[in-house]
Amino acid sequence: MKDRLQPRWRYLLDSIRRVFSVFFFLGRKSRRTRFFFVLSFLPVAVALIIKFNQLFSERHSLEGIYLFTNIIMLFYLQLIILILALFYGTSVCSEDVEGKTLSYLLTRPIPKSSIVLGKYAAYTLIIIIMTTLGLLFSFAVLNIDHLLDGSLYLTLFRYWGVLILGIVAYTAFFTFFGSFLRRSIFFGLLFTFGWESVIQYFPGSTQRFAIAHYLKSFLPYSSSGRFSFLTFRLEPTRPGIALLVLFLITAAFLGLTCLLFSLKEYILED
Amino acid sequence: MTIREKGYTHWDGELKERRLPWWPITWLGIRLAFKKKYFKFIYFGSFIPAFVFLAGIYISERIEDFRYMIKGSTRILEVNPAYFKTYFTSDFLLFMMVMILVVSAAGLISDDLKYNSLQLYFSRPLEKRDYLIGKAAIIFFFLLLLTVVPGFLFIIFKLLFSGGFHFIASYPWLPFSVIVYSLLLTSFFCLYALFLSSLSKNRRYVSILIFAAYLFLDILFGFFYENFRKPAFALLSLKVNLQQLGAYIFKQKPAYPVPWYWSFLILLAICSLAYFVLRSKIKGVEVVK
Amino acid sequence: MTAVIETSKLSKWYGNVLGLSDVTLQIEPGITGLLGPNAAGKSTFLKLLTGQIKPSIGQVSIFGRSVKNNYALFSRIGFCPEQDSFYEEMTGWEFLTSLLKLQHFSATEVKPRAERALEIVELIGDKDRLIRAYSRGMRQRLKFAQAIAHDPEIIILDEPLSGMDPLGKRKLIRLIKDYKGQGKTVIVSSHVLPEIEALTKNIILIHQGKIFAKGDIHYIRDLIESHPHMVFIKCADPRRLSSLFLGEDYVLKLYFGPGPQALLVETNNRDKFFSLLLSLLVKNRIEVEEITSPDDNLQAVFDYLVGK
Repeated sequence: MKDRLQPRWRYLLDSIRRVFSVFFFLGRKSRRTRFFFVLSFLPVAVALIIKFNQLFSERHSLEGIYLFTNIIMLFYLQLIILILALFYGTSVCSEDVEGKTLSYLLTRPIPKSSIVLGKYAAYTLIIIIMTTLGLLFSFAVLNIDHLLDGSLYLTLFRYWGVLILGIVAYTAFFTFFGSFLRRSIFFGLLFTFGWESVIQYFPGSTQRFAIAHYLKSFLPYSSSGRFSFLTFRLEPTRPGIALLVLFLITAAFLGLTCLLFSLKEYILED
Repeated sequence: MTIREKGYTHWDGELKERRLPWWPITWLGIRLAFKKKYFKFIYFGSFIPAFVFLAGIYISERIEDFRYMIKGSTRILEVNPAYFKTYFTSDFLLFMMVMILVVSAAGLISDDLKYNSLQLYFSRPLEKRDYLIGKAAIIFFFLLLLTVVPGFLFIIFKLLFSGGFHFIASYPWLPFSVIVYSLLLTSFFCLYALFLSSLSKNRRYVSILIFAAYLFLDILFGFFYENFRKPAFALLSLKVNLQQLGAYIFKQKPAYPVPWYWSFLILLAICSLAYFVLRSKIKGVEVVK
Repeated sequence: MTAVIETSKLSKWYGNVLGLSDVTLQIEPGITGLLGPNAAGKSTFLKLLTGQIKPSIGQVSIFGRSVKNNYALFSRIGFCPEQDSFYEEMTGWEFLTSLLKLQHFSATEVKPRAERALEIVELIGDKDRLIRAYSRGMRQRLKFAQAIAHDPEIIILDEPLSGMDPLGKRKLIRLIKDYKGQGKTVIVSSHVLPEIEALTKNIILIHQGKIFAKGDIHYIRDLIESHPHMVFIKCADPRRLSSLFLGEDYVLKLYFGPGPQALLVETNNRDKFFSLLLSLLVKNRIEVEEITSPDDNLQAVFDYLVGK
């Protein structure tokens, strides 16, 4: 086969691409994706309700961009992407083991690491598409009367970038969880809604042991206002360093997952 | 008559029905849950507030001995219906109950759907009602232990440490409130968990659903309330609805000025939906088109 | 013939449980039946061959190359797993084409290969139905289709006939036998003896993780010298016939019946006995209706080997 004469790295990339295309298709088709799609559109419903209220209320209403950055974005960053990343991330390895379809993948001429990376890429893209659509609709609804204002789009792009970074990092982290923990969902929930919620309020370096800390480093900090608790952080990290750390986290956890997946034996019990 | 001479005859024996046909399902579920180490950790961890509140009852009776430790108002250690309401409607307790559901209840029906076990159940003399009761009893066991037992222990310890019955004489309805609220809380969570478990064959997906629905509705309430400042949005949150009901049952002022019967109706609607979905989902045979 | 698959001292432990013990053998092209009861180690052996699990001791090589971390070999191997598991939300067509994509075929090659495979297993008419809606037999055929779609040189089938109706089994057996003619190597595992007998004479007997015997069924049978052979004869006058070879020391026992014309002989030297029998029949002009060896089959061999 001519593929085997290719350099190994090219063969690996081609394998990743093929795994990606199979699982992107399968992921899009599955019923649970439809449910998660609805979940990621719930902030749009929230935006619609807020907007309708503004239209019929006599009170001075908050700016659409303020509501977008302080309510909708944080809805995504602190709940939706966590849930999606937890489910899809842990599915990368666990799904085929629990579903006993791993044999089909392990008996193909593809490196084991390409299974992990291809599935990770597919599911990450699915999450990004779902959340991006919801984000864009929410933005449009809340800023419907200022859509021609170009500066708003800079803000949108910035926050969208943070969202993508969050999805990439969290999905990689939960992929690692799913590769070696049997009850990965349980521990994932403990980590996300236990550890990460609490640790950011600890002074010193401990807050840096939370992915959320680095994501918040990209967001403007507001020390006052009703929603300031959502952007709370004690000692922010510089955005450049935060970006590097997030990439390192992603690379490290994906690398560990590939290693673990290649070495581990999965016994598909009847 | 020897067996060789016996032709076709009807069986003369008596069919002895189990009095509790659902009991084997419940017993198995409880045993399987306790086999998991992390479940034991979570479950016994959920009793921490109970121990703290029990200690509080002891301290409240010997307040002078502990004066050096308690600076400021000792009002928090007044053991009255508000004390009970604080325990039963605490965020931590409700959160731990949801975590117990995630760990022990997510797979109750979803695993049976995944492995096509419903046919095995219904090929026995077991009705749908028995199957659901069996599954529900598992959740009832775990959650009632966490609610009724500490509630009654608080009353008993209070009576013991106070050395008299004036506490129960002052609040004779309190044991009844403990039972009613525990049953309401447990019934709601039971139907909630079984309903979500019946929606998917994937236990991981159900685990996320149980947690996400609870958390999401609470966050949604938080956002709307912060933005609109309308107490009616409290009805969006499962947690707040349960807390509102708890405040009414323990005769306390609720956190939000929303009538208790609205919260009750919302929870009842969810339970009814859960019941009807469960009835349609639990079938011996699945028709695949 | 050169061995295609070679194992050397292959052993596998699952914790304290021995899955496979010290298996050293070579498998040549053709159909090899792997026969053993449930939990004998058949699936363990096949998973070791395909590198899905790692041996505790020993090595496996296919085409002279180690299987360890050698994913490139899978372009030449097709594996049909025992588990009845699929990506249920896919159709048969989507399932097959997805797996062919993972075989590194180009888009133009995937479609004709998938079509051919589905035609072979007679699923072409149901290719657009969801796998969830397939019957057990259809699912089994789909599994077989994904194992052959990329035209591998080695086909490893773990209980391929499980759950199929008799007609479906016959068709699949015929399909598998066709591959022998194409020079391919097929390894079929089963715990159902007639299935293996219908497929091949070349078998490997496995029990409790150990290989009891390997080779042609008759050859294996002959190896078991200590175990007497039974010969069933149906003729007009069995008593007269029996009196003629009663004096031979290799005739151990005689049974009359079932029926008045039947005779069952137990002998510890089958070749000598048959040679004597033929000469006696001709010399004494005895008409014979039937001569069979009731224990010259896999069941008897297997039962004897596993100590029943």
